Amino acid sequence: MAPAWKAAGLTYNKYLEVAARVVRRSLKDDIRLAAERRGQTELRFAKWTSGKQGDLTNVADANAVAMAEAGTPKTS
Amino acid sequence: MLSRAARPALRAGAAASARPAVPNAATFATLREIEDRLKSIRNIEKITKTMKIVASTKLTRAQRAMTSSREYGKTSNTVFENAETKPLENDDKKTLIVVASSDKGLCGGIHSGLSKYVRRLLLEKPNVDIVVLGEKCKAQLSRSNSKNIVLSFSGIGKAIPTFADAQAIADQVSRLPTDYASVQIIYNKFVNATSYEVTPIEAYSQEAIANSPNFSAFEIDDSVLSNLQEYSLSNSLYWALAEGHACEISARRNAMDNASKNAGDMITKYQILFNRTRQAVITGELVEIITGAAASEE
Repeated sequence: MAPAWKAAGLTYNKYLEVAARVVRRSLKDDIRLAAERRGQTELRFAKWTSGKQGDLTNVADANAVAMAEAGTPKTS
Repeated sequence: MLSRAARPALRAGAAASARPAVPNAATFATLREIEDRLKSIRNIEKITKTMKIVASTKLTRAQRAMTSSREYGKTSNTVFENAETKPLENDDKKTLIVVASSDKGLCGGIHSGLSKYVRRLLLEKPNVDIVVLGEKCKAQLSRSNSKNIVLSFSGIGKAIPTFADAQAIADQVSRLPTDYASVQIIYNKFVNATSYEVTPIEAYSQEAIANSPNFSAFEIDDSVLSNLQEYSLSNSLYWALAEGHACEISARRNAMDNASKNAGDMITKYQILFNRTRQAVITGELVEIITGAAASEE
């Protein structure tokens, strides 16, 4: 049986990221700030087609959009 | 005859009368030029020295992150070692190369080392797609192999890479439409503080993992296999990013150390030149005054 997060279109990495975020948020304040910094990404990426660079997009946003798309056909 | 013989002397006399004005102006100008040069070199030295100090302080943290990430990557690879996983020997499927560089330069030849390695790989087998992490290698590879690039990431190398970075990259990489026979992550291996080695890490595809000889010993369900593959990909990426980052910082420290040394050499050289020129100007002026005084006495 596929787990629920997989049915919702999340990848294993995203599942881990969400779990890690929950753990970080439940830490005490003094260590939480340092820990939360480890969970941030400012990556941007661009798709290349036939030697040309496409638009730069934020990786985290793009991942969220793609996972929402992957999740919709199964839930509806 | 006489007139012709006298002519050079005349010319010399004319030159001598012109000398006080023209060459003096020239020596004063060069003095000022040397002074300006000296000033700008001193400023550059200050900058490179500061960058070196910044890099040195960052280095210890980067190295700590590197050693822990190496543990990560190695542990995740023991599974494949025990399962005796081998990359698929399949020519019709593409290979994916992930180049782990960063956004920042001024750190010697570590980025171009990566680019050269990738170019050599591409000469051997051109049927390869490239994912570039970091602006520097993107600029270099887009000039020669822009057709092979499928994804490029930027924003790497501002701070120590986090596992969240690696995960986000791994997600995008596994979302690529093509099915790759194997994924190679190319990064700079930290040998010691002055030498780095461009090394590939193999991240296996699902098929390769499933086909490995000892795989049945682990009793992994097929449905979980993709999780393992994604997770091991992000583990390897994290390893490559952290080690590459440590190499970059250490290379920057060395590069800035060399630059400061060179600037120091240039400063001493120009200081000597400056002093000599100033002395020459003073001597010239003294000679002029003395000869002038001697001439007016007579």
